[in-house]
Amino acid sequence: MVLDISYSVIQVTLLSLYVSGCATFLGSAIGIPLGALIGLREFGGKGLLKTVTYTLYGFPPVISGLVIYYLFSRAGPLGSFGILFTPTAMILAETLLVIPLTTGITISSVTEVDRSIKDTIISLGANRRQSVLTVLREAWVGVVMAAMIGFGRCIAEVGAAYMVGGNIQGETQVLTTAIMMETRLGRFDYAVGLGVVLLGVAMAVFLFLRYLQEKEVL
Amino acid sequence: MNQTQKILIAVAVVAVLVVSVAAGLVVTQKKGSLLLATTTSTQDSGLLEYLLPVFEKEYNCEVRVVAVGSGQALEMGKNGDADVLMVHSPASEAQFVKDGYGTNRTSIMYNWFVVVGPDSDPAGVKNSTSAVDAFERIYDNGTAGKAKFVSRADNSGTYTKELSLWASVNSTWTKTNVSEWDSSWYLQAENGMGAVLDMCEEKNAYTLSDDATYYSRVEQELIPHLNITLTGDAKLKNQYSVILVNTTLWPHINKTLAKDFLDWITSQAGQDVIKSYERYGKQLFTPNAPGYTTQAIQLGTSAVVTSAVPDKTRPGPPPCPG
Repeated sequence: MVLDISYSVIQVTLLSLYVSGCATFLGSAIGIPLGALIGLREFGGKGLLKTVTYTLYGFPPVISGLVIYYLFSRAGPLGSFGILFTPTAMILAETLLVIPLTTGITISSVTEVDRSIKDTIISLGANRRQSVLTVLREAWVGVVMAAMIGFGRCIAEVGAAYMVGGNIQGETQVLTTAIMMETRLGRFDYAVGLGVVLLGVAMAVFLFLRYLQEKEVL
Repeated sequence: MNQTQKILIAVAVVAVLVVSVAAGLVVTQKKGSLLLATTTSTQDSGLLEYLLPVFEKEYNCEVRVVAVGSGQALEMGKNGDADVLMVHSPASEAQFVKDGYGTNRTSIMYNWFVVVGPDSDPAGVKNSTSAVDAFERIYDNGTAGKAKFVSRADNSGTYTKELSLWASVNSTWTKTNVSEWDSSWYLQAENGMGAVLDMCEEKNAYTLSDDATYYSRVEQELIPHLNITLTGDAKLKNQYSVILVNTTLWPHINKTLAKDFLDWITSQAGQDVIKSYERYGKQLFTPNAPGYTTQAIQLGTSAVVTSAVPDKTRPGPPPCPG
């Protein structure tokens, strides 16, 4: 199918990858250490914290979008940054969606591994630091999976991207918001075409990551 | 896997990241750029795609469009999130300017609303004498269980117009009142115009639509059973205006370019571009900036209305407070 549209599908696709990639990176950089910390330490209220984290797996994108919109609107507390309707705002909104996923899955992974091997490695004479590192290494597959799920959530998400990005052509238009716009315009064939591109891109990314995992780069 | 392969893959990953970051930076770093908050109908009708490149070329700048409902567009102006607004919600616009959030409100063009309904026309809207009469018939038949109406219910300019028509039928029918009507006949979609038209097609319902979106849906053969049941009433005129956001409240706004845009779109050149925009074999918008001279306009099905004269009765921009 030839897409007779005024914007570049390649640019839209690249922006989708850029926004989702950055959000996944930020969300992992915050969520994974946080999850490891919560998972490996004992403290009061840990159960509650875990419940809250797991509940936030379903954190609605529109709420995340709304939070960022209010914070970064010129009339909002952080308005002077002027980032509303830029890719940066979209990245922040989607980072909020990734953090609970990476945190929660890391908690589960390290808790699981912790239980099964901690005693063994301590009995083998490992100190606290060595045991934490070993647990993290063993839990790594789960942690990478968390990042991948986070990426999947970002690239498929539309509510937050539309709200704080504004679907500005050539600037904040990503695949999902373009699909929404095409549907609104009644150009269902274009919308379906873009949908195929979206699925293709997501699949390519996951295959690539799987390949890296198999080759033990990740 | 050996060390070299690992390094190669790592380099590839980094390269992809760098390229995508660079791509992101390239699209975000623009010279003279103007953020235009507007209603979905100007984008969905294809007008902006036709109009803006002319301005962008002449002024060597970039216009970034955020297309939302008129209500949200005004809210964006109020919060300083846009430089200039192009909206069609006269009462809210007047209030917006009166409250000091905007200046230089100027009419630029209009098109027409149409009352759209199913083939069978169960409320007999085709026989109605006016828009108010049509809405009364829809209400009577709706409450009697014979007809349905789908409302945008979304703070758009179209919804504002719908509310004003209900209020013309009966002055006690306020927004609160209308929103409590029985959903067995009055469906509040909270959705865009295109989606609402699709809903009407499915549910054999009436709605109020702008003609541009209606014709585009017809052309795409998505609504074969919906017809225009009423058009041409002066009450169905859909006036678009441009408003500058108050730069005293929001100093970061691109004041010069916003004013350039207003001056250009109300100039002979800008108005001529609006006039020359045709789709579905019809001129979709009639320019009517103050001082613009129009000839007799072919309006297709709306030709019964002969009020194609510049709207000079509109009050000039009030002084900017503060």
